[in-house]
Amino acid sequence: MTTKETKLPIVNGAGFYEIRMESIGGLGANLAGKILAEAGVLNMGFNGSNFSSYGSEKKGSPVKAFIRFCSSDMEVRENSPVTEPHLLALFHENLSKTIPVTQGVGPDGIVVINTSKSPDEARDFLKLHAGTVYCINALKIAIAEKTRINTAILGTICRASGFLDPDAIKDMITKNLGKKYASLIAPNLKTFDRGYNEGVSKKFKPDNKYPYIPFTRDGQKIGYFNQPMGGVIPSGGNSIFKDISASREGWIPVLDISKCTNCGECDITCPDYSFVWEDGIDPKKGKPARILKRIVYEHCKGCLRCVEICKFEALTSHKEFETDKTILEKGFTDGSKK
Amino acid sequence: MKIETLKEEKILNKEAIKQTVDFKSGNEMAALAAAQINYHIMGYYPITPSTEVAENLDEMSANGEHEMVLIPGDGEHGAAGVCYGATTAGGRVFNATSAQGLLYAMEQLPVQSGTRYPMVLDVVCRTVSGPLNIRGDHSDIMMALNIGWVIILAKDPQAVYDMNIIALKIAEHDEIRLPVIVAYDGFFTSHQKRRIRYFSDKKVVQDFIGEFKIQNCSVDVDNPITIGPYMNDPDLINNKKQQSMAMEASYKIIPQIYKEYAELSGRRYSMVESYMTDDAEAVLFILNSAADTARIVVDKLRIKGKKVGLVYPTVIRPFPAKEIAAALKNAKAVLVADRQDSYGGWGGNMTIEVKAALKDDPQNRSIVISRIYGLGGKDFYEEDAEAMFELALDAAKKGKVDVPYDYMGTTPGDPNFKFEKVRGPITNKESSLGIIKVTRDEKTGKLDVKGVKHAELTAMPHRITPGHGACPGCGIFPSIGTFLKGIEGHVVMLWHTGCGMVVTTGYPYSSFNITYIHNLFQNGAATLSGVVEMYKERQRRGEIPKEQDITFVMVTGDGGLDIGLGPALGTAFRNHNMIILEYDNEGYMNTGHQLSFTTPLGHATSTSNVGTVGVGKKFHHKDSAQLFAACHIPYVFTAVESQYRDLIRKAAKAQWYAKNEGLVFGKLFSSCPLNWRHPDNIAQSVVQAAVECNFFPLYEVEHGITTINYDPEEKGKKVNVTEWLKLMGKTKHLLKPEFKGVVAEFEEEVERRWKRLKAMHENPLL
Ligand SMILES: Cc1ncc(C[n+]2csc(CCOP(=O)(O)OP(=O)(O)O)c2C)c(N)n1
Ligand code: SF4
Ligand code: SF4
Ligand code: SF4
Ligand SMILES: [Mg+2]
Repeated sequence: MTTKETKLPIVNGAGFYEIRMESIGGLGANLAGKILAEAGVLNMGFNGSNFSSYGSEKKGSPVKAFIRFCSSDMEVRENSPVTEPHLLALFHENLSKTIPVTQGVGPDGIVVINTSKSPDEARDFLKLHAGTVYCINALKIAIAEKTRINTAILGTICRASGFLDPDAIKDMITKNLGKKYASLIAPNLKTFDRGYNEGVSKKFKPDNKYPYIPFTRDGQKIGYFNQPMGGVIPSGGNSIFKDISASREGWIPVLDISKCTNCGECDITCPDYSFVWEDGIDPKKGKPARILKRIVYEHCKGCLRCVEICKFEALTSHKEFETDKTILEKGFTDGSKK
Repeated sequence: MKIETLKEEKILNKEAIKQTVDFKSGNEMAALAAAQINYHIMGYYPITPSTEVAENLDEMSANGEHEMVLIPGDGEHGAAGVCYGATTAGGRVFNATSAQGLLYAMEQLPVQSGTRYPMVLDVVCRTVSGPLNIRGDHSDIMMALNIGWVIILAKDPQAVYDMNIIALKIAEHDEIRLPVIVAYDGFFTSHQKRRIRYFSDKKVVQDFIGEFKIQNCSVDVDNPITIGPYMNDPDLINNKKQQSMAMEASYKIIPQIYKEYAELSGRRYSMVESYMTDDAEAVLFILNSAADTARIVVDKLRIKGKKVGLVYPTVIRPFPAKEIAAALKNAKAVLVADRQDSYGGWGGNMTIEVKAALKDDPQNRSIVISRIYGLGGKDFYEEDAEAMFELALDAAKKGKVDVPYDYMGTTPGDPNFKFEKVRGPITNKESSLGIIKVTRDEKTGKLDVKGVKHAELTAMPHRITPGHGACPGCGIFPSIGTFLKGIEGHVVMLWHTGCGMVVTTGYPYSSFNITYIHNLFQNGAATLSGVVEMYKERQRRGEIPKEQDITFVMVTGDGGLDIGLGPALGTAFRNHNMIILEYDNEGYMNTGHQLSFTTPLGHATSTSNVGTVGVGKKFHHKDSAQLFAACHIPYVFTAVESQYRDLIRKAAKAQWYAKNEGLVFGKLFSSCPLNWRHPDNIAQSVVQAAVECNFFPLYEVEHGITTINYDPEEKGKKVNVTEWLKLMGKTKHLLKPEFKGVVAEFEEEVERRWKRLKAMHENPLL
């Protein structure tokens, strides 16, 4: 299909309208980027390009996807990441805790964020200098429609962009699902529509509340003067300092120590070594024993293996945003809070 | 998709030639060209960023879109061997690789060119290890300058398609008959989608290339020939002279083929592309995707009145020296930007070759500046190109260059930065809990293990720390972590390349509280044997206290025991005092789930797709435990995290055997929720189901005597294989009626292996 000729509402000095998606592996940002770019290039008659940031990303690790659009008669020669996006899409709000996701977003920028927060709350959460914020609770929509959040976010992006044609994108969603997943087409189109219609927006002018965060390549602490020879890491075990909680997709285990028998099985199954044990006294037998104290949530990826294995219901699964903050801080409950 | 007809162009066939407009990446275009050519054979081995080429071809094959036979090598060396053999047998052959893969295959590549069998190899350029880096630079392709292959370059996805078609025509030309490499930039080109055009009808491509002319065929029974004789000094130099003549011929023929292709496609290429060079004072010489970025900057600087130009070749073997010299004729200064270094050569390879090319033109007075940039896939922004032009302009103005050779884009670092110490070393005392006791029964010679108390063992310090980047629910860490609970005292580990290694050591972080070594997964076992023997010898010489003890553990994935099987078996034959642990997740997960030799029959992977004709993996799984048992090492075992007491018990035994007798091999069945496609939380049930259906029996082989440790039949737990298969997305298709035959064949093999194991369990002589 080719839809009506459309013009890009705004382009940068190089002639591009640029989109950056910030996500974690597994949420479908790469696919969303591909669909969006295909819709623009094959259905709307722009020229363009699309790629993602690659490391050795696993599920749960940060990823970025980039889309560029330009007029049909222009050649694309850019190969570097998008540094000053016209539109930024955040698939997972917690990413902003560890990554400067808003780099390069100026007052004319649009930020689409998957969140249950209001635009004002989201702006404060992101410490966004200025720009138009579109909030969409993509997780809620995806759960309701039994689809994935990426399609809902695509809907909001389409709306927020002001120039992308929803039919062009819906056509590409349909083509990408193809015959293989034909049964998923209808719920995905509905998800897209809901994303399109349910996004809530607000424009923020530069009001000196938060500074503009420019894109920068500086600030690397380890360089050729001080990198230990041969790439050796002299202090092993330092990954323990990392906060990897953004890998979680919404669920967490909660440890109720009042029910825990210190059986030790959760410690065996946890891939992220998130359980803390100490020497103590077994309350039943009154003898010295190893006692489970808490979960370190900075390291927990929310796989819920431990919940599955605990025979005593001392570990149960909960929606993270509904969980009492003190539990997240302490790493356990004594049964009085959930 | 849009269909366009090129009417203006002169066309080979009389009718208008249709081209389809689409939006695809470099790897997709490489696969598309190969599929349209319909090569007979592709021998390959997965390596990022080239893997997608084979994956795409496999997916197309599963849906009957071409007839190519895809053969997974045991490694790139094996894949290159498959390709070599296939080319001798009279058909068209294709391969794609990158970085370590190119280097590992390299020993075969001069054989391919020296015996004159044409084929096409796509090199998707990536940084050569070590330290390991998967992103794009040119350190791999520049290693291939001397292997006797024609090397052509493709700067964007469109060129990848075009050059793949052109390459085969060059390779098979009567006067050339040489293998050809098509090199394009990893990620920048391989993974970037762009608007492209391709011939709607593959016949256009096939007609352009023409019929394959068989020469020197190894399967022609009417004409027996000797391929690859032993050739000493009077003759070898003449064989090489012929090779050089073929290369010279290609230098003349490539422009003709480019021209023919332009007439067909409307897309023109020259051996050397130059942009705005006629009056340019400062010229940048740079390869592939970065050249495109630099071209934008030429336009920008020209607007400002700066006389800059750009030169980039599309062929580097044969090196178009004359054309380059001509393009640089008027340049006062030339900056050659190399995305690799020829350490100690005062420039990357292109610097050296451009200088040599200019020397042949006595008139040339250009100053040559060399800059190394973009290593390890460091992004190349317009500002970087601009800085290069400014350097060249400055040299042109001054008539000299201050720093002729240097790196660009490096960082000195913050002088105040120091690696923060996490903790002191794990002491022997701290990690010798004395909870588990291993004793040897003098009569039976068997080991007895007591005290496997897993809750008490939570006191064992973590040799691997949290904060690693594995997917939620990954089985590697419970498997290896639980094993380590059974190992007391000092531990030194070596990990093969694979998910486990990549997610634990992303610089500047490491998840190892103990000393850890990575070596490439062809060679880890040999490497650790070297460590073990040096340790022992230094102890013998009194350089290390004799009473000190280290347990040496090597960790490999199942894939690492495909490509690294040879050195691992060598290690077994030599019986070093160490432990080899294989975590078997049935595939090459780190590269995105390609089949490994342990992938079971019928399982879907990205190189064993299910489709209209694809039925998943086509051959049975490798049994590595039995392979090592056949090496007659002291101790072999299998284990799973879901039977953790058994696993810890085996760890304790492994430590005893490694210390007292020699090599231990242990195979751990380890879930990969991402690629097996099951919910993260049920990982243990999935691996346990594999045990209950006898697919993954738990047993040990001690001094050649086999003991089954858990017999699902005896325990009344035996289930059908489908009970396991139904838990995973990668095997869901096997539950459909049309796959009944595949499942029956798989089940039969599982049963056969189980019965054989039972017989061994019952008879100590087996
Ligand atoms: C010579 C060479 N070929 C290919 C690769 C790419 N490669 C890295 S890890 C890997 C797969 C490893 O599979 P496995 O050992 O099963 O470990 P897993 O990733 O499944 O954990 C491959 C193919 C490489 N690094 N070097
Ligand atoms: S599995 Fe449950 S009961 Fe056992 S130690 Fe963990 S939380 Fe406690
Ligand atoms: S959900 Fe449980 S098992 Fe999974 S990482 Fe968190 S604590 Fe560990
Ligand atoms: S891809 Fe699989 S094996 Fe690799 S880290 Fe993820 S879950 Fe683990
Ligand atoms: Mg594997």
